[in-house]
Amino acid sequence: MREKLHPFHIGILIYMTQAGVVIFSLPRVIAEHLGYNGWISLIIYYGIAAINITLISLVYRLADGKSIFQIMEDAIPKIVVLPLYIFLLSVWTLVGCMSAKRYIIIYQIFVFPTTHPMLLKLLVDVLAFLLIIKGIYNITKAATLFFWLVIWTIFLLLFFVHDFQWVNLTTFYFHESSDIVTGSFRIFTAFLGYELILLLFPYAEKRKGVMKAVHIGNLLTFITYTLVCLVCFGFYSFDQLKRMKFPMIDLLAYIELPFVERIENLIFSIFLFTSLMGIVMYNWAAVEAAQRILPKANVKWLSAIIVGLAFAVSWIPNVLVEVDAWLRFLGQIEVGIAFGLPLLLIMLLLLQKRREEPWIDYNEP
Amino acid sequence: MDRLQRAVMLLLIISVLTGCGDQRILEKLGFTQTTSYDLDPNQEQASNDEKQEQQKLLVSVTIPRTSDETSRELITATAYTSKEAKLKLQSQTEFRMVSGQLRNTLFGLSLAKQGIWEHIDTLVRDSSISPRVRVTIVNGSAHELLAKDYSQHYRTGQYIDRMLEKEAISQTIPEVSLYQFTKDFLDDGIDAVAPVIKQINDHVAIDGVALFQDDRYVTKIEPDQAIIFAILRGKFKNGEMSVDMSEVGRSNEHIMFTSLISNRKIKVKASPEAQRYYADISIDVSGSVLEYTGKLSIDNEEHQKQIEKTIEEYIKLKGEELIAMMQKNNVDSIGLGKYVRNKLSYEQWKNLNWRKVYPTIEVTCNVHVRIKDYGKFVNVEQ
Repeated sequence: MREKLHPFHIGILIYMTQAGVVIFSLPRVIAEHLGYNGWISLIIYYGIAAINITLISLVYRLADGKSIFQIMEDAIPKIVVLPLYIFLLSVWTLVGCMSAKRYIIIYQIFVFPTTHPMLLKLLVDVLAFLLIIKGIYNITKAATLFFWLVIWTIFLLLFFVHDFQWVNLTTFYFHESSDIVTGSFRIFTAFLGYELILLLFPYAEKRKGVMKAVHIGNLLTFITYTLVCLVCFGFYSFDQLKRMKFPMIDLLAYIELPFVERIENLIFSIFLFTSLMGIVMYNWAAVEAAQRILPKANVKWLSAIIVGLAFAVSWIPNVLVEVDAWLRFLGQIEVGIAFGLPLLLIMLLLLQKRREEPWIDYNEP
Repeated sequence: MDRLQRAVMLLLIISVLTGCGDQRILEKLGFTQTTSYDLDPNQEQASNDEKQEQQKLLVSVTIPRTSDETSRELITATAYTSKEAKLKLQSQTEFRMVSGQLRNTLFGLSLAKQGIWEHIDTLVRDSSISPRVRVTIVNGSAHELLAKDYSQHYRTGQYIDRMLEKEAISQTIPEVSLYQFTKDFLDDGIDAVAPVIKQINDHVAIDGVALFQDDRYVTKIEPDQAIIFAILRGKFKNGEMSVDMSEVGRSNEHIMFTSLISNRKIKVKASPEAQRYYADISIDVSGSVLEYTGKLSIDNEEHQKQIEKTIEEYIKLKGEELIAMMQKNNVDSIGLGKYVRNKLSYEQWKNLNWRKVYPTIEVTCNVHVRIKDYGKFVNVEQ
């Protein structure tokens, strides 16, 4: 029997997929788009994500352990779902490879500035590939391990208790905000990743806790983001924060311990793990979709082709601005998928239920 | 091993080799420790017409040598921008200059009077430079101060850095790093400050606290007033204060007030319609008195209360004097603006010309002093 995923591991997996390199620039993006005390608005984005997850849990309840591909194929002829699969496959592949490229480019601002970025990207992609071919159960185990490697860094924020000033937060709320709609998409993409739980249904233990675990993972992401943003808003002056490219890296650079300082490079390298989980999960999702299109293909080769294709595509954008533009666009599509896919599935499942209903024997006790 | 695994191994080896791309060999690097910026003195004396053009900078860096404990390399260049200067400096040394170990930046007074933001901006952008790099103003020429070897001390750069670190702990100067300077410069409710040092014969000495308006040096606080300034600027632990009681009407009496723990609270009353603002600074200081010269007995309880009262009066007097001085020079170095801002709505604050209003606000200091102890020895009254 295949091993099933425990809710605890699912929660961690969701957190690791959500949190990524975006946290390094998130406080600035919030200051830029939502203005003074913009960090408070995180609760709204968290709420939207939570509603989305509730929607997905509806699918979970109705699907009863069936995979989403199965649900779709049961209701729609395969020739119609194929383009949808190809669409999902391409979006997920691209999200994975662009977030990897983003990590690499930011990494290069600090170390190895003149090395070819694609060489470093290759390194990350090889790691991702090795994880993908091991299957979801092992990915989850790795995610749990990486989680413990990363989560302690939240305590580094304690270092700023002394220099944090409430007075820096000011009494203004959301003044000097600009482009709230674009900004909201940018901020909300920081929460994305939970929608991949849709693909985990057949792998999860049939327990009640699964969707609760997803909610807890999402909550943990929210708490992490809020803490980091709150510290940034209280530690920096507002105009300063708006001008900092990566406020969290500057935060880390400021930490000085008796035995070590300038730990930002070290910590940023540790964050490779959270980024890696995002990359792995999206590429894994793409492989899952690809398997549906070509059921007889070898999974390893399929993964190799997808990771290879992703690598080739990520050659196109060269600078951070371009990668950000791609990610923004992909992020918007992914938000669409996160909401659209569960809605579609619920519709299909309800239709199916109605079709099945006449056969239900009501006389049974 | 199957074919796939072999391919992966090959890729892995290629990837690991990428590490050879950006090499940094320790022996070939020159870690700059201190950088100084001045206006080019040759140009400074030029006529006013020429001054209209962009002024040249004189930039010097020190690179400590590892051969022995006091040797260092000092290189200097003149250029229009600090990055151009870096290129020129680079061409004068056999090392590859890196700024990861930069600890201190010194700005000459004449440059500081013109504004230092463009140089700070360059430093803040550079990812290899720590946000903890100090910003220091030199009363005089920063280059001359840095170029000199002080025979009784360690390497000049390190000597200055360690001295500033030590002095900041005892509150005689504020600890000002790139982070702190940028934060205050970009905040509309406070003005930046920086420590001032100057060269005295064979030593370098603390010369007070520089007060900035935006990024321009305006005036400075004398070293003996620095502790009062520290009390006004924020809370701290550890500090010393010498109280000359003649200032509060008791001649020939001195108190040494040590191990200070100070807390500051600012309350603002605002009536924006009438354009009137009141700030109330309440200060809570506690510490020990180990030295007193004068008529009172520090072991007598009555007198102890009197001494506390006198110190309170002294801090209040000096504090209000200092604030009046800052208001006269229109520098909000203690950040009253931040507290006024929090009392107003966004529109009111944005419509308020803080520079214009600041000199007119009424500020009072309320001081509470508590002397915790008088040492471990008692003079028994006969």
